[in-house]
Amino acid sequence: MSVPDYNKASKTNGRMARLMAIFKKEVRDHMRDRRTLLLALIYPLLAPLLVAGGLYLAGTTIQSERTAVAFDVAVIGSANSPLLMKHLESYDITVVEMSSVIEAKKLMLDGDMPVGLVVPENANNEKQFTVQMLMNLSRVSNLRLTARLERVINILNAELSKERLAEVGLEEDFAKPIKIKDVSVTRLPNIAIFFYNMMPPLIIFMIFLGGVHLAIDTTVGERERGSLEPLLLSPVERWILLLAKSMAAVLFTAITSFINIAAFFVFCGWAASLSKHLDQPPAWYMFIAMFVVSIPLMAIAVALQMSIAVITRSMKEAQIYLGLLPLVPALPGMIMVFKPLSPGTWDVMVPVFGQMLLLSRLALDEPVTIVQVLTATASTTVAAAAIFWLAARWFKREKMFLLG
Amino acid sequence: MIKMRALKKSFGVGQARVDALSGLSLDARDGRVTGLIGPNGAGKTTAFRIVYGLLTADSGSASVDGIDVGSERMEAQRALGVLPDVRGLYPRLTAREHIRYFGQLHGAGGSALEDDINDLIKRLGMEDFADRRAKGFSRGQELKVALGRALVHRPQNLILDEPTNGLDVMSSRSVRDLIKEMRDNGHCILISSHIMSEVAALCDDLVIIANGRAIATGTPDELRQQTGADDIEEVFVRVVAKERGGAI
Repeated sequence: MSVPDYNKASKTNGRMARLMAIFKKEVRDHMRDRRTLLLALIYPLLAPLLVAGGLYLAGTTIQSERTAVAFDVAVIGSANSPLLMKHLESYDITVVEMSSVIEAKKLMLDGDMPVGLVVPENANNEKQFTVQMLMNLSRVSNLRLTARLERVINILNAELSKERLAEVGLEEDFAKPIKIKDVSVTRLPNIAIFFYNMMPPLIIFMIFLGGVHLAIDTTVGERERGSLEPLLLSPVERWILLLAKSMAAVLFTAITSFINIAAFFVFCGWAASLSKHLDQPPAWYMFIAMFVVSIPLMAIAVALQMSIAVITRSMKEAQIYLGLLPLVPALPGMIMVFKPLSPGTWDVMVPVFGQMLLLSRLALDEPVTIVQVLTATASTTVAAAAIFWLAARWFKREKMFLLG
Repeated sequence: MIKMRALKKSFGVGQARVDALSGLSLDARDGRVTGLIGPNGAGKTTAFRIVYGLLTADSGSASVDGIDVGSERMEAQRALGVLPDVRGLYPRLTAREHIRYFGQLHGAGGSALEDDINDLIKRLGMEDFADRRAKGFSRGQELKVALGRALVHRPQNLILDEPTNGLDVMSSRSVRDLIKEMRDNGHCILISSHIMSEVAALCDDLVIIANGRAIATGTPDELRQQTGADDIEEVFVRVVAKERGGAI
């Protein structure tokens, strides 16, 4: 070996050049890392698949409930009410005569009969009688058939009531002083709304997970590998180092989040299109709006990840804390799935929660105001900057590169 | 030139407090190879870390080419190239990408930097693995990358911590030749090593430290004369034994 001659080296000074050098290095490095790519490209597809799967099942359930389905019913005492038996058979319900309740129960417990009826002996002679419905709801499929049998019996009930009222010269609706007519005030009046409400907390969960591997790997991970010490020997301010690493983490979070939101749009749209009883998810531009509204969340997620990663003593410790972190901001959203809130001026000022409220509106195809968006963006961005400032201070500590 | 003056540094508090440095002073001059040797835990790494700006001394000062490290850390770092004991490579980056990255961090760029990288790769004998990712590199290959990374910004001063640790005979000789050549070109080189034959072959000046302070300084000949020992290893053993009150 001989001494290198470096007389030709050019010098480009400036923080920006160094910032971009670190940013590009981290992006290149992690584009080659299978774990980062798995987290960025595959994980964000899982929650949308789950929600779309649920939506599809809901759609097919509604579909089958509204479609006449032929099935058997175990009947004890079918001869006691020929009218009822004829009515059932007119709805494709096959009456299977049983000798006793015990026999019917046995068949039902074995799964050979979905539901049973006990018709009393005096049914033919009375104006009113009670049938016992034998149910086995431990099987999910029986739930739908039992409900159908009840509906079919009630149809006969309604017909008989109408005839009896007419006999005494009364109107059909005489016994119904109050009528109810359903009018939905939301654009999405059916079960699909429940699934679309699940999107915001899952989107937030993914945002807090997307850059987590990069945040750990570029801080405490560098320390464990021994590459942090050579890096800190470079004439670069520590906060620039952390900012560049954070920018790379934000980029991966943004990619993850984009895939996640796009997957919700595609998968939920596909699942909803398979059933005429489900409303379609909001239009594509509402999903773009969801992505834009989420950008400050990406900043605060990475700032939190970095601040935790720089104070932990090992990658394992960081993984434990940062693995739990996504649950914290996603939890209010999960509650809102069952108890939705409307955003007020003050609510959207709460960092992270403001975005949650706005995402909930957008997920239901409901409008948000520019003031609400700007307020939520400003509050979360300020919070992210404050957390990053703390992380940068901690990153300067001597402990940062002293192992353990 | 690297100077340390009355450096003191301790870690921990109360009963867990450890005094890593207790008033270390030394000069490493330009055109000389200065060896900093001492038993494990003597404070060598702590002293190096203060010089290259990772640790702050509790008291005392360190400077590189007259630039105070405590007050002008980044200026001092620009004048310094460091080969830490832990090489710390990025397994997914190639050797060339490592050197380029650190060149950019020192403000270099453009085609001139690429020319310099090619030059370094050639001179350090890295052609065979320059474009291979660092995962799976041998210790010799890792050392060459770390050296390239330390030299890419043409530092006047070099700190080399265990520069031949884990290398085979041929690689060790190459590194020693490089160090000598840089010394002859007027660079200031401060090394730490546990291999006494290497210290004897390379160092123009020696500083033996124990318990966080210098207990003997001088040229190898001067130290041999002072202790009456024939070789550097014996010099080291006698000086350290004396510091420990006669026990070896």
